[in-house]
Amino acid sequence: MGRRKRMLENFDQDLRDHIETETQDNIERGMPPEEARYAALRKFGNVTRVKEEVWEVWSVIWLEQLVQDVRYAARVLRKSPGFTAVAVLTLALGIGANTAIFSVVQAVILEPLPYPQPNRLVMLWERVRLRNYQNDLNDPSPGNFADWRTQNLVFEDIAAIQDKSFNLTGNAEPVRVEGEAVSASLFSLLRVHTALGRTFNVDEDVPGGPHVVVMGYGLWVSRFGADPQIVHKSILLDGVSYQVIGVMDRNFRFPDPANFHASDQADQLWVPIALSPTDLSNHGSHSLQGALARLNPEATLGQAQVQMDAIARRLTLEHPSTNEGVGVNVVPLREQLVGNVESELWILFGFVALVLLMVCANVANLLLVRASTRGRELAMRIALGASRMRILRQLFTESLLLALFGGCAGVLFASWGLRALQGVRALQTLGPSGLPSVGKLGVGTPVLVFSLAISLLAGLLFGMAPTWQVMRCNVQRGLKEGGRESDSPSRLSLRDVLVVAEIALGVIVVVGAALLLRSFLLLQQTPLGFDPRGLLTLRVIPRSTQYSQPWQRSSFYRQALAKIQEVPGVKSAGAVSFLPLTFFQASKGFSVEGQPALTSGQLPMAVYDLVSPGYFETLGVPVLEGRDLSWSDTLQTFPVIVINEAMAQTYWPNEDPIGKRIKEGRADGAMPWLTVVGVVGNFRHFDVASQPRPAIFSPISQLAEGTALLRDWVVRTIGNPLATAAGVRQAIWSLDKDLPISRVQTMEEVRSSSVVEQQFTLLLLGLFAGLAVVLASVGLYGVTAYATAMRTREIGIRMALGAQRHDVMRLVLFHGATLGFVGVGTGIVAALLLTRLMTALLYGIRASDPLAFGAAAILLSAVILVACCIPARRAMRTDPVVALRYE
Amino acid sequence: MSTKGQKERIELLQGTLDLLILRTLLLGPTHGHAIAKAIQFKSDDVLLVEQGSLYPALHRLIKRRWISVEEGTSENNRRAKFYRLTAKGRRQLELETSKWDKLAGAITRILRPAE
Repeated sequence: MGRRKRMLENFDQDLRDHIETETQDNIERGMPPEEARYAALRKFGNVTRVKEEVWEVWSVIWLEQLVQDVRYAARVLRKSPGFTAVAVLTLALGIGANTAIFSVVQAVILEPLPYPQPNRLVMLWERVRLRNYQNDLNDPSPGNFADWRTQNLVFEDIAAIQDKSFNLTGNAEPVRVEGEAVSASLFSLLRVHTALGRTFNVDEDVPGGPHVVVMGYGLWVSRFGADPQIVHKSILLDGVSYQVIGVMDRNFRFPDPANFHASDQADQLWVPIALSPTDLSNHGSHSLQGALARLNPEATLGQAQVQMDAIARRLTLEHPSTNEGVGVNVVPLREQLVGNVESELWILFGFVALVLLMVCANVANLLLVRASTRGRELAMRIALGASRMRILRQLFTESLLLALFGGCAGVLFASWGLRALQGVRALQTLGPSGLPSVGKLGVGTPVLVFSLAISLLAGLLFGMAPTWQVMRCNVQRGLKEGGRESDSPSRLSLRDVLVVAEIALGVIVVVGAALLLRSFLLLQQTPLGFDPRGLLTLRVIPRSTQYSQPWQRSSFYRQALAKIQEVPGVKSAGAVSFLPLTFFQASKGFSVEGQPALTSGQLPMAVYDLVSPGYFETLGVPVLEGRDLSWSDTLQTFPVIVINEAMAQTYWPNEDPIGKRIKEGRADGAMPWLTVVGVVGNFRHFDVASQPRPAIFSPISQLAEGTALLRDWVVRTIGNPLATAAGVRQAIWSLDKDLPISRVQTMEEVRSSSVVEQQFTLLLLGLFAGLAVVLASVGLYGVTAYATAMRTREIGIRMALGAQRHDVMRLVLFHGATLGFVGVGTGIVAALLLTRLMTALLYGIRASDPLAFGAAAILLSAVILVACCIPARRAMRTDPVVALRYE
Repeated sequence: MSTKGQKERIELLQGTLDLLILRTLLLGPTHGHAIAKAIQFKSDDVLLVEQGSLYPALHRLIKRRWISVEEGTSENNRRAKFYRLTAKGRRQLELETSKWDKLAGAITRILRPAE
């Protein structure tokens, strides 16, 4: 601003010269010098004002006024430390809670996936629509994968994925490491790189190809001490030697929907899937855990879905026995990885935003109270010529400054809170698998920008309240009344409206929390159908050359279970393919003997588990009819199964199911008939919430072929289950010291970690609800107390005229309680409309659950009464003499 | 009370001072006091211009680059700032003048419809 400087230089001199010239003119006209000078000055006008105006022409006015306003606002805030502290603290709680939730939203939903052009990546699943079985995310069969891959024109490539875990043995204690068998193209599809070595080639991804493995960075560091020579070395997986060819980048995360954010359970080993020609023509066995694909640059998601639908229809015609009702579901990878927690997070985010609105209402009310005591100051400033615009700006500056202080404190709260959460061990194990561990959450730039934005927004919002007061400020009255509030208490004031809104918002939040609490309690009280107390669970997967034959595995289970039963404190033991409540479930189609033959697509489906004899007894599931499976059911005896009650009631409603026979697949298929020898009670399988479905259980002792095995072991103990863990380990290691033993936990731990997501949501929403109750009660208390103080004189007169103390109390109570109950009523109505959005999070109740609504209403009403009673009691004790003098 | 007080004086409409300054400078560059005198003299002392208010207006016009400023010597041999109309200012003056004529004409027609 060169011109600006030049113009303002010597400017005073210009003015002096002007006046001097005018004075000279006047003297020439015959005025005496003294008078001539005064006349010149008079004619010139207000010198200071002229200077200021010229200065303003050249100044960046808004900036300078802003600095001025900020300075003034800071002074005003410093002068009332109590008000400032309360407002900043309230804001900090609201903004802090929002910041914390946003940091989760940012990490989970907004952060792009760690692959180049991640929005081109999709997962492919079978979409199964059968009469008895519907699943949008059905595991694809290798045959379907092969046909999708060769027939489509919309994807660069498709890679198959198969979950696989390995027993990693060697010099250290054996460990079970999660991994995947994948197509060679997977890494190039993801466009990720190795830290060391390379990923596998297409010619290694063939049946009988070399045993090569790519390792995760974490495993490389923890197990192999970041050995730079690891590439070319070999490691033992399931007793087989694999050559390490590469180590993935430190930041690489496998796109695994189940554990994407839980690094401790992340996949660490990748081997070629090496699908054989037999696999590639198998459309019936759904053994892949999805397929990953990248869209061609010119293809859209919609086009991809349309083309895959066409391919699926063709496949149904070609393979009617396996592909009846089987479509293709193209899911964007992002949706796949965060979809399950996304809605939950948005709902939490919505609630925390309501809390921030309450905070705004509260601060607005504080500002209103202050503005009314500042009435005189404002009137004075308007009278002295300040424009209303200027005063509005001043007030907004104050509000924004408050909001920014609140925001800073809020960000501090949020980062402390997140750090404190990291310190709580319980929370680390409690971290829902769909969310990143707390350690990974931080207050980064996007979070800071968000906090700044909501702080400013909040500032503008609550800053509107005092401006309303200015707009209707009557200068004369303001000056005369000396800053006293002139509202008559009977009129509905903005303060009242705000407090009603605040209580209504509070009701919504509390209702939300109550609904979640009800759901959670119902979930906790749901009978599982088995007894989780005193039950130890662990995972031991016998996988090496010595277990390749089914009978070898069967005999291992029999021996190991017998050994375990000898451990002191152990009552019984059993093993199963998938432990209940771990979100795993296999299903099989079957035919019932004597019923009309059905085509493959119409076969009824049942949950299927392979179990060891003694499994039901150990779990505590009663055998209702017939007998349990036994080790004497062998390959030499006729094949038997046990079914659950739901199965018996569905397929043999008025008959005795014992002795009935079913067959896996079609009735005319090659599979043997299986005879029902027992019926066990229903129990919760997939998770706590899902109703038990018909289920079939086969004994491991009759497994004739294939790779099926039992992964999870259950041990019924006397006393603390974990106390027997060491003995159980030794029992297993006495048979095979190379078997890793993992997931050692009690069944009660399994149960609580299966509801951890609900618990997490409940915990957060519970915190918000607590905050909401505090805010609502403080808000109402503030308004009632203030209104009472304003009416001290009136109360004094009433009492002097003979009003009784309880009349006075009723007067005050009536005002507060009216506001409170209008707020509760409004809140209930709003909550009825809004809680429908959270139906997906509820279990066992509807979104309009009267108990939850009632509890919320009662809680808030109680709080309202307390908040009003305090000022009412104070008013009751008013001394009329003092009150009448009250100014 | 001075004798000039008997004449009724009219306060300037917002923005018209700018127009008057530009018009004055059309006759050639001059200094501040001379502009004030010229406006007052030419309007037969009818317009009430606080001479001080001239300066913010001058600075506004400089900022808009309608006039420029240079050092010079006044008639009584004092160093003073001389204000000169720029080409841009000349165009602005034409524009404003025609606008003013239209406005004045319109108002006159309303006030004296008979004429």
